[in-house]
Amino acid sequence: MSMKRREFLKTTAGAAAALGTLRGRAWGQAKPVRIGYTLSATGPYSVGAGITQGPNYTLWQAQANAKGGLLVKGQGRRPIEFISIDDRSEHETAVRFYEKLATDDRVDLMLPPWGTAMNFAVAPVANKYGYPLLGPTAVSNKIKDLQLPYFYALLQQPDQIMGAFAGILKELKAQGKISKIAIAYVNDLFGIELNASAATALKEAGLEAVDVKSYPLGVKDLSPVLKGFKAAGVDAFVGLTYPPDNILATSQAKEVDWNPPVWLAAVGTAFPFYRDRFKGAEGVMGIAGWNPKVKSAGAKEYFDAHVKKHQKEPDRWASAFAYASLQILERCVAEVGLDRPKIKAMVDSTEFQTVAGPIRFVKGSNVSTPGMVGQWQKGEFEIVWPKGLATGTPVVPKPAWA
Amino acid sequence: MAGKLALVLLLMALIAAPEILSPYHRSLALAILADVALAVSWAFFSGPSRYLSLATGAFFGAGAYLTAIVGARVPWPLPVLGGALMGCAMALVVGALALRLRGPYFAVFTFGLAELAKHTLIWYETGVTGTVGRLLLAPPGPWTLYYTVLCLAGLAVVTALLLRRSRWGYALVGIGADEERAETLGIDTTRVKVGTFALSAAFMGAVGAAMAPRWTYLDPQVFNPFVSFQTVIMALLGGATTVAGPIVGAVFLGLASEILLLKFRYFYMLGLGLTLIVVVLALPSGLAGLASRLRPSPSPLPRPQP
Amino acid sequence: MGLSPTLVVDIVVGGLITGGIYALVALGLNLQYGLMRVLNVAHGEFLMMGAYLTYSLHTAWGVNPLLTLLITGPASFGAGLVLHRLLYARVLAGGEAAEALESRSLLLSFGLLFVLQNAALLLWSADLKGYSYLAVPLRFLGSVFPANRLVAAAVALAVSLAFYVFLQRSFLGKAIRALMQDPEGAQLAGIDLSRVHGLCFGIGIAMSAVTGSLISMLFELTPFIGLPYTVTALVVVILGGLGNVVGSLLGGLILGLVETASVYLAASDIRLIASYAVLSLILILKPSGLFGR
Repeated sequence: MSMKRREFLKTTAGAAAALGTLRGRAWGQAKPVRIGYTLSATGPYSVGAGITQGPNYTLWQAQANAKGGLLVKGQGRRPIEFISIDDRSEHETAVRFYEKLATDDRVDLMLPPWGTAMNFAVAPVANKYGYPLLGPTAVSNKIKDLQLPYFYALLQQPDQIMGAFAGILKELKAQGKISKIAIAYVNDLFGIELNASAATALKEAGLEAVDVKSYPLGVKDLSPVLKGFKAAGVDAFVGLTYPPDNILATSQAKEVDWNPPVWLAAVGTAFPFYRDRFKGAEGVMGIAGWNPKVKSAGAKEYFDAHVKKHQKEPDRWASAFAYASLQILERCVAEVGLDRPKIKAMVDSTEFQTVAGPIRFVKGSNVSTPGMVGQWQKGEFEIVWPKGLATGTPVVPKPAWA
Repeated sequence: MAGKLALVLLLMALIAAPEILSPYHRSLALAILADVALAVSWAFFSGPSRYLSLATGAFFGAGAYLTAIVGARVPWPLPVLGGALMGCAMALVVGALALRLRGPYFAVFTFGLAELAKHTLIWYETGVTGTVGRLLLAPPGPWTLYYTVLCLAGLAVVTALLLRRSRWGYALVGIGADEERAETLGIDTTRVKVGTFALSAAFMGAVGAAMAPRWTYLDPQVFNPFVSFQTVIMALLGGATTVAGPIVGAVFLGLASEILLLKFRYFYMLGLGLTLIVVVLALPSGLAGLASRLRPSPSPLPRPQP
Repeated sequence: MGLSPTLVVDIVVGGLITGGIYALVALGLNLQYGLMRVLNVAHGEFLMMGAYLTYSLHTAWGVNPLLTLLITGPASFGAGLVLHRLLYARVLAGGEAAEALESRSLLLSFGLLFVLQNAALLLWSADLKGYSYLAVPLRFLGSVFPANRLVAAAVALAVSLAFYVFLQRSFLGKAIRALMQDPEGAQLAGIDLSRVHGLCFGIGIAMSAVTGSLISMLFELTPFIGLPYTVTALVVVILGGLGNVVGSLLGGLILGLVETASVYLAASDIRLIASYAVLSLILILKPSGLFGR
């Protein structure tokens, strides 16, 4: 009943808003700024797209339009209109739709799709038609090989992430809290690159993994790997994971009665969903990038607005970078208008202050955000490494699984 | 006469298309032409012989990954030729082993092929090259791709037409009707089956190789089982025992899903599913069956009596 | 690394856990494929639906996941009867050549697959969904196993065996076996083909949905988890022989053992290579499956 009413209210509100824009246009007022993107609503990429990117796009649009629209230099505020399509998690479909956005819809700006492979696929199109594309979910050492001047990667890359992992592990070992590290990685590009970076970073830190195991995408049973690590006396588990295998490994660790002092994993740990799934996930560590306690301007406001709009918290890694990419675009449009080469020039030469901290690009890579490690502590994913950015101190050994 | 004129006009339109169409519509045409090539080449083997092959994804993937590996080191049409050879070679090996299998056994075996290829490749890449996936940094231009795929689709259609009228084609129909009888009539069934299977695989490998540059980044996930399924859907939807059927099926499915995707973001799969169900229930012999029912002079299928 | 007793226990019990689940999905598919020649590629979608139903019943009302089988089973059985009546019976009544029927029912199944995935997407969204149930270690023969997996596999095997007994003992079961062995002869003996088909379709789908309820205790759910199970079920059906119930049961267990052994003795990423390699080898040596006629 209440659901229906809420739906009804939403529809009515939507209709009213539509009426509003219609009237706006009838009065000859601001033409909307048209922004195009595809996000996977179906297929395997839809999970990540729905957590990290989609909610931030719509939040930003709603916030800007509530203020009367996006401030465009010399033109005042213009409402934001999204032209968005489901790419079905298919690269060919995404490429085609970005061509459509560029040549048929002739949108003013473009936002990237979700995921590394998708960004690889559409980046050449954006580059060809001169659309700056600021990707918050592209992680790969191959990005720099692309050499596409209009493509920017906001997130920390494998070397930075693994550098942070090695940093905290080295300190914990020096404190005598751990001695044996083991790695399990998913054998696709992401896992393989992280694993290669891990080998280098661990070596530089004077550490060595006693065991390294790979497993395929869509794995259904990780207990053999975990039992093996447990039998070998491993006390620091490093999982270079995607969300489903991360959750599988976490639940199976408890089920095979293994609670290593350090449990450190890649994608998925920073999701509020993960915390809730494992009753707080107290003491679990993972890749971090942000939390509402960081000192960046607007961090807390962003967190609250996200919760208010979507009734769910942003994740503590890439979400804030998705929002930051929109803040960057917003500032550029305010200062140089919708002239895309000028936007590119500004992105290239400016250090931006965002909810995710300062961001500056050198050759398309964000050089301002270091790799970070976070740890769930009493409901918040505290940043525990590097020390300069820490919002908490690491708790090792982690408490027993809840 | 009118039919021939229409055909010539259609051909001219297809050749002139990149000139007239926007880049988006050209890409849509490219994707649909690739599907036409896949569906037609699938149907000229699986239609008459009634061996339901789910190996399309394996041959397509092999061609695509080949392009990704050789990259810009070889001039353009060579990767496509390589893809064709690759598909052909795989099909010869698989065909020799698997064409003893009948019906569902053959279908599942061929499906396994794509999975086997994918996971072996991942295992090899991780273990030996230490990385997985390739970037294609200097892809051929969109015009080149369009005409390459147009040629492949055209060749596939011509092959299907020629095959239909040849002794080889009749032998395939005979195999589909009753393999043992065909054998007693003196048909070298193994040669006919493996030969045609390899020919259709050559097209699939070539299409994979030609479409690979569209993605920029390729990893072993290009061995996508959905390619196999989609090909089967297109061919069966149109009617797999005719030449027109797979073409109609591919064009219909391509346009229908594009329109549904653009108009109904959250319901497009529902629309697609219901479309399939309605077509199956309303048109027992596929979309092409509808066309031949409307036309006064249907081209009758050489449907043998079992 | 030698074969220590613990390792043997790990492999055998682990294999039976995986295999028990495979066997139940495969049994359901075999009923549809073996009996009616309906290659139901939407089989796994019913598993996905069953899993979501259990998830919702458990998280919203606190219903014990194992008790939800009593809801997902009958509900999906009913859905199967209706779908058979509305869709498959119409196609199968056409009286065309067997191959034409097979391809039309295959297309229907693809249609169903899309419809069900979209329905799940609208109802539950693409976010990962999951819950913990019996997520505790169980010590067993000197090793340790997840309690939920042991329970899921035990229930799956129990359902499979119950079905086997039903086939052997009951009148309907005998009719089904007669049809699987000799469709024409059985029809002459006065068995109502369409009615038995409908029941079998319903039972097949119920088995898939029940498996879904069980695996919802073990894995995170998305609307796209179904297809891999369809594929595994197909492999098992072919491995054990089309229309062969015992074959599916044993085929499932064998596949489970092969996968688990390859993970323990080699590496996880070998698992899928091993299972397809074994399938290929068996088919090359025995073209109608291990237990095929």
